[in-house]
Formats: sequence, C-alpha cells, structure tokens
Amino acid sequence: MITNLDISLVKGRKSYSQITEELLANTEGRPPLWWLAAFGLGCLALAFGGWAFYMSLSQGLGTWGINNSVAWGWDIINFVWWIGIGHAGTAFTIFFLVFRQKWAGSINRSAEAMTVFAVMCAGLFPLIHMGRPWLAFYILPYPNTRLLWLNFNSPLFWDVLAISTYLIMSLTLWYLGMVPDLATIRDRTKNKFRKLIYGIFSLGWDGSLYTYNRYETLMKLLGGLAAPLVISVHTIVALDFSISVLPGWHATILPPYFFVGAIFSGFAMVLTLMILMRKAFPIGDYVTEKHIDNIAHVLKYGSMVIGLAYATELFIAWYSGVEYEIYTFFNARASGTFSTAFWIMVFCNAIAPQAFWFKKARKNLVILFAISIIINIGMWYERYIIMVSSLAEDFLPSSWVAYHPTLVDIGIFVGTFGLFTVGMLLFVRFIPIIAINEVKPIARLGKDNNTKNEKE
Amino acid sequence: MNTKHIIGVFDNEDNLLKAIKHLKQKRANIKDVYGPATNHDLIKAFTRESLLPYLSVLIAIGTIIGAFGFLYYTSVIDYPLRYGGKPLFSFPPMVVIIFLLTILVTGGLTVMAFLGRNQLFPGKEPVMIDPRASDDRFYLVMDQNFNPEEIKKWIADSGAEEIIEKEIDA
Repeated sequence: MITNLDISLVKGRKSYSQITEELLANTEGRPPLWWLAAFGLGCLALAFGGWAFYMSLSQGLGTWGINNSVAWGWDIINFVWWIGIGHAGTAFTIFFLVFRQKWAGSINRSAEAMTVFAVMCAGLFPLIHMGRPWLAFYILPYPNTRLLWLNFNSPLFWDVLAISTYLIMSLTLWYLGMVPDLATIRDRTKNKFRKLIYGIFSLGWDGSLYTYNRYETLMKLLGGLAAPLVISVHTIVALDFSISVLPGWHATILPPYFFVGAIFSGFAMVLTLMILMRKAFPIGDYVTEKHIDNIAHVLKYGSMVIGLAYATELFIAWYSGVEYEIYTFFNARASGTFSTAFWIMVFCNAIAPQAFWFKKARKNLVILFAISIIINIGMWYERYIIMVSSLAEDFLPSSWVAYHPTLVDIGIFVGTFGLFTVGMLLFVRFIPIIAINEVKPIARLGKDNNTKNEKE
Repeated sequence: MNTKHIIGVFDNEDNLLKAIKHLKQKRANIKDVYGPATNHDLIKAFTRESLLPYLSVLIAIGTIIGAFGFLYYTSVIDYPLRYGGKPLFSFPPMVVIIFLLTILVTGGLTVMAFLGRNQLFPGKEPVMIDPRASDDRFYLVMDQNFNPEEIKKWIADSGAEEIIEKEIDA
C-alpha cells in the first residue's frame, strides 16, 4: 500500500545524481525567453504600483476610494486576500515535517516561497494605509520619550505581531530548508562568482551527519512551532473585524471562517503555481498527478466547509432576530446592493470546486487551472463582501455611501502582483524549486523492496 | 589541523548503514559522515539524539515568564491607565501576545543555537572531500585508532565503492 504511494510520488527509478541534475536544471544555463518576458511584465506592474505608492504618499490617502463610512477599502481587502494566500506554504511544510505526509515534500519549497512573497505583499497594505509609513515604528512597543506603551488589548497590535512573527518564521523555514540545496549548487558550479554567492548563503554546509541530525531535529521543532501560527495568524486578522460592533463583522464564526478561507485560497494558489511550474520546468516526475489530485481533494473539502460557513452566517443572522444583522445578510448582501458580488462569491467558492468530485475534472489540467483561478477570484470577492457591505450600509441610513476604488487603489494592487511575480520568477531562477535533499530519500523509498517499506 | 584520514566512499545508504553498524561494533572511531541526504535509520545508528528540543523548551519557558512580566509591568506598574472601567490586569489579551512572542523568540534563539553548535555561518569554508558529497556519494571519514589495514578491511567488507586516504580538516 505504502509502497505504491511512495513510488508514485517520484516517478521513474532515478539515481541521486539524476535527481540533482534534473532539479537544478532551472538554475543553470541562460534564462528562457518566457522568463525574461514575464520578468519584464512583472517589472511594469511593479512600476505602476510604485507610481500609486508615490501618489498615496505625496498626495495623501485622499487619492484612494475610501471615505468616512468605508474607511477600509481595497487596501484591507487586498491585505486579507494576500495573507490568506500566504497560508498554504507553511501548511505544506507542516504536513511534511509534523504529519510526515511525504507527498508534501516536493511542493513545500515553492509553497513556502509563495508564502514569503504573499506575506510581503500583504504587509505593504497596512504600511501604506498608515499614511506616514516612515513612522511605522510607532506600532512597536519601545521605551519612548512620551513614556507611553501601546494598547496591548488591541487586535490591531496583535496583528502586527502575528504577521511579523509569521513572516520571520516562514522566511526561516524556507531559508534553512534550502541550505543543503544551495550547498549542492555551490559544489557543482564552475563559475567563481556563483560559487562565492552560493557559498555565502549555504553557510559552509558540508552534509555532515552530525549536522544533519541536529538539522532534522531543528526543522521538526520549527515546524511544530509554526503549526499553531498558521491557525493564529488568520484568526487574529479575523479578530480585527469580529471585535468591532458592525453587523456582519461582530460574529464568533469569523476566526474559524477566515482560517478555512485562508487555507482554501492558499491551496488554490499553490495549484495555480504548480500547474504553471510543471508546464515551465521538467518536474513532472516529482510533482505528479498524485500531488495535483491531493490538492484538488483538499480544495473540494475546503469548499464544502466554506459553503457551510456561508450558510451558517445566513442562518445565525436570521435566528438572532437582530434587524441590523438580518438587513446586512439578507438585504445588503444576498439581494441588495452587493448581491452580484455575493453570488459570484458563492458560486466561485462553494459551487465551482465541487467539480472535483469527478475524477475527470481532477485529471484535466485545464479544468484544474481554471477552477484554481476561479477560487482565487471568489476569495477576493469574499473579502470585498465582508469589508465593504458592512461598512457602506451600517446602522444609520444617513451615513450610507457607495464605494468605488480609484486608479491609485488599483495601482497598488497591481503593484503587489508585480512584486509577487518578480519574487517568484527570481525564486525559480536562482533556487531549486523542489527540495532536492528531501526528495532524495523519498525517491529511494520507492526504489527499495517491500520489506524495507513496511518498516516505515 | 589537517590530518590524514581513511575515507570509505559509498554509493547508497544501505551499505553505509551496514558499515556504520559494523564499525561501531568493532569500536572503531568514526569521525563523521558526509552525504547528500539522510534518513532516520542512518542517524539513529550513527549518533545520539540532539538536545535542541530541551534547549528550546527552556527558552520557551523563559519567554513566557519574560513576556508575562513585560506585559504586567507596562500595563499595571509603569503606566496604570484605567479605561472603560476595565481592570488594569487582564489575562485574556495577554495570552495572544505571550503565545506569539514565545513562538518568535523560541524559533529565533533555537535557530541561532543550531547555527552556533554546528558552527555554520556565512563565509565558512566547508569540509570538502569531494563535490559529489552533495550530489550522490557518501563519505565515511575514520579516525585512526586501530590498525589502518584492519579499518580498511572492515569498510571494504560492508560494500564500500572505494577507499581513499586524504588529508582533510575535519
């Protein structure tokens, strides 16, 4: 049983040097044409974002679509969306390190990279939203001349702490995980400059078994430490909303609901990226149909939990009998001003992924790719619905307003896409996209005879 | 210090595992093993468990106490500001902050302890026997506390691909 599974995780009976050869292919030779083109596009998007960033700083936040009632607009929507996407990487690492799911071994490197860049993109939004980002250090508790401390009871402060902790931990896991692979590049390359750079970043790694022993222990420890973080980060983001008193926000369901949404959108983005990477690089033997199939299953169940959460929200709004809650959920969201966005959200998140019940859909890369994109759009709409519908139509009809993003809002969002694209492209160019030192033992398991495997 | 070592070269973990078990039985001193990958059996046969988890538990306990002390100091002693009629000392919101700080500080210090213990740092010269040590070969480096010929024979018996002698700084 296990034997079959392990063989399908790495296809073909590969020798170690063959694995090294195949998985370093992306870092060697000249960059392909599509890479240069995509990099150029990413830089263009980044430039657009740079312009929007400059406008926000020089002219102020008046250039955004936000107003007195809708004080949190596209910036916080996009912040929550990116943070959600950033959840999958660490989730994969934990599947691999803590739950010993061997199939996650060949995905966790790129999923972690995605996490790191997504969290960086997310962090930009609150930073710009401060209006004066050069004073961002005010949000840290340091002894100051005003003799003041922060409000440690505020979820906004918890958020700062949660997200910086998450970014530091994912960066550490990602970087430490790649040290042995960087050493492999250092040992293989003939180019002196490359040898120097990879030599510095590989920290003098020599593959000593003593080091490996402590390394395995360390990675398990870090995985264990990061595991509760995956849950806590989005829970705390949800508390930003649920501790307020607005209808639609003031709900105890929000933390678990945000968490499931985050895992769901993160896995969808991993699926998008894995399909693109399989197309671009010869890694089909390492990220097999089995891996894609597993992700599709996770998305299918995630979609059901999300659907249940939507239904629960509606039911509790009706069951509470509070007219404001009922208005927000049934009038504003399901049938009023925001009904288009609401039903797009329901279709994209709760209905479309149900296609994965069918094996044909899980095997068809076009359908997989399309649904992964649909989920990401749906998750963006979910945050839009939560953010704008509650703020734009709250208790007092006299303060109801419409909300539209401006070009600057859009520019910052496009800019973060540029940042993400450029980051991921640099990643696939300079770092092995699959953890070579972790795949080697997995490939070996498949090669061995059955008696060996039954022990595992 | 560069000294001459007998080095057994292996092309798979099974023979290497056999060799390690065999040499341990004969009480020959293994200096270290260098290789591209590892697995649980190898580590178990070669060395004892790392003490890192105990260190990190200590760090975690220290951080929990430190973080609690800091929050208590700031909100009750240094700046006792009462707002909304709420008590100065309130534990629930502290849980979140203590939890996050514990993860951050424990993770960071454990990584530093790991790097320090293995003396890994940017710019360090690795022990380089052969570039293949990070590709597909395992190198078993021996201390010579026995007759060299005997050690060579033991290594060869376990299925080493070849046996070399080299001066390395291990």
